[in-house]
Amino acid sequence: MAGWLLARLGRAMVAAWAIASLVFISSRLLPGGPEQALLADASDYSRPTTTVRSGASQQAAQQAVRERLGLGLPVFYFTRSAQPAQAWHWHGTANQYHRWALGLLRGNLGYSYRDGQPVVVLLGQALTYTLPLALTAAALGGALALGLGLYLARAPGGWVRQAALALLSALQVTPLFLLALALLLALANPDFLDLLPAAGQAPPGATGGQLVGYWLARSALPLLGLVLSLLPVLTLPLVAALRHEAQADYATTARAKGLSAAWVLRRHALPNALLPLLTTLTDLLPTLLAGTVVVEVLFALPGSGRLLAEAAAAHDYPVVVAGVLFTAAARLLGLLLADVLYFVVDPRLRPAA
Amino acid sequence: MKPSALARPTCWLAFTWLVLIALVGLLAPWLPLPYSAAAPDLLHIATPPEFSPTGPAHYLGTDPLGRDVLAGLVAGARRLILLSLPAVALATLAGAAAGGAAGFWGNRGLHLPVAGLGGLLAAVWWGLALPAPAVAVVLGAGALALALAYWRWPSRLPKPPWLAFAVPLDSLLLGAATVLGAVPRLVLLVALAAGPPLTQPQLLGLLALLAWPEAARLVRGQMLQVQALPFIEAARAGGLPAGRIWWHHALPHACRPLLAFAPLSLAGLIGLESALAFLGIGQGPDVISWGSLLATMRQAPAAWWVAAYPGFALLVTLLALQKIARVIGKSILQTP
Repeated sequence: MAGWLLARLGRAMVAAWAIASLVFISSRLLPGGPEQALLADASDYSRPTTTVRSGASQQAAQQAVRERLGLGLPVFYFTRSAQPAQAWHWHGTANQYHRWALGLLRGNLGYSYRDGQPVVVLLGQALTYTLPLALTAAALGGALALGLGLYLARAPGGWVRQAALALLSALQVTPLFLLALALLLALANPDFLDLLPAAGQAPPGATGGQLVGYWLARSALPLLGLVLSLLPVLTLPLVAALRHEAQADYATTARAKGLSAAWVLRRHALPNALLPLLTTLTDLLPTLLAGTVVVEVLFALPGSGRLLAEAAAAHDYPVVVAGVLFTAAARLLGLLLADVLYFVVDPRLRPAA
Repeated sequence: MKPSALARPTCWLAFTWLVLIALVGLLAPWLPLPYSAAAPDLLHIATPPEFSPTGPAHYLGTDPLGRDVLAGLVAGARRLILLSLPAVALATLAGAAAGGAAGFWGNRGLHLPVAGLGGLLAAVWWGLALPAPAVAVVLGAGALALALAYWRWPSRLPKPPWLAFAVPLDSLLLGAATVLGAVPRLVLLVALAAGPPLTQPQLLGLLALLAWPEAARLVRGQMLQVQALPFIEAARAGGLPAGRIWWHHALPHACRPLLAFAPLSLAGLIGLESALAFLGIGQGPDVISWGSLLATMRQAPAAWWVAAYPGFALLVTLLALQKIARVIGKSILQTP
């Protein structure tokens, strides 16, 4: 069983490396590299009085920026020259991909194009906002889904249950950005209901307690959006599994013994219905991280999702590649967690000692 | 679809709405709109909806950049028809073909002659040496020859008589799907669109690339069940060529769940594409879609009409697609 687990993890790790390599290489091969964007910014804003540079000096400046960012080297181990001759060249280890992979092994994710900061530092700062948000959303969503699932599986077919199920399936197809935008416009709009802060800075001179309170209020709406997007994914399969289990023979026997329906559902059906839910757990963390991309941009939280979105908008490729790698790592963690929990929850899977 | 399913009012509503969106999207260049979607009306910035009896008015208001919301809605519907719909069609076809082949032949079913290995190496070498169009022609001719050979080859022989090696189709498909599934689709889309603004065909290809693994997994799983059914065995016993069994007998059965899956896949892609447009990544400034209209909302929170109409259109479209998918799924379950 350990071998199976290792093989599974190994496959997931290879997939993570492959997708990060794909994003890395495709970002380096795109036309209009970051040096052009950087120089365009510089000529637009910081030196408004200088005249348009001649072609030669502009090319020299671009080359200097490329060298500084480490883009002077060839992209991959072999490349094809763009000239009509179209010959193939072998570059050995002196290429960008090799440097990136080596840096990755040493824990160095590169430096941001925009401000030259190490990507690890940027990501670490962002995670101090994202991780509490995502983990709280996961915990809240899981608890709510459990309660809601038990209620919806048990309640007789009245209009409340119908409405709740219809609402959940409507939520399932609603994109998170639409949901979060609706929340923002309804609850944090100075022209409508201004209940919660959704942007801006913490009040100056705030002490510890006030700061905590401020961030709690700030993260209430993003949290609500994430939990609402998570609920249908968790609840609908649970309801289906609970109903399926409630029709099994052992549940009938338990009811025939005179146990109440709620007790049968909670103590007899739930342990079996929970098992398929553990598979959903694998996708929970990466889904939440993808959700934070939208939610953090909308609610102006300086977390990892916003970092990724802003880096993508500014062609800051090292940060983008690091974001992809981090999300893939989160999925790996989810996979590991789900497998371990399977062992804990289901005694049938444990090796006979 | 059964007539009884169509008789329900919600289903009719969903169907009518989708037809309406499709018609508006198709006929967008010929609709008599008072304003164009791209040209801003700088005299009317973020004006509320108005109905003036004299002259053209902004019936649904304008956004904070002065663009007409009604024209933006129509442009968004056209983008849906020209971008999301072809992307889903492409992804579903590619996924059905790849998943069907992987489920039918598995890792050991498809044998190529060892001579084919040399041909493959030669093709790789040619691909590295030749310009792209010639490579496409050579690969296409090779695939055609292979398909023809399999169309004619009787399947009852357990193994072709020549020295052969098996193509691990199943592993290749699952590996590709695992790599693309290692990261949520939105994150991957944001990362791959991080370059300069994408053209419409590029974005279409990117969306199709993200969407095909789901369809492929579905068809593969279905194909594994279909393959064990007696009529496939009978076809094999009858000595039909493997390619013909796959195309005529197995694939139509394995693709049936796709009918219900395609609308859901379309809803997912529309949501994904709108989210990308909302974030403003990989989009030219002149591209107008429902997502980019919603994004301008953040500049003027008081202008409810900028968010209400595109948001409503997007939500109703997605709900209608979900409803249609559910109805088709039920009717598939009912007719064996």
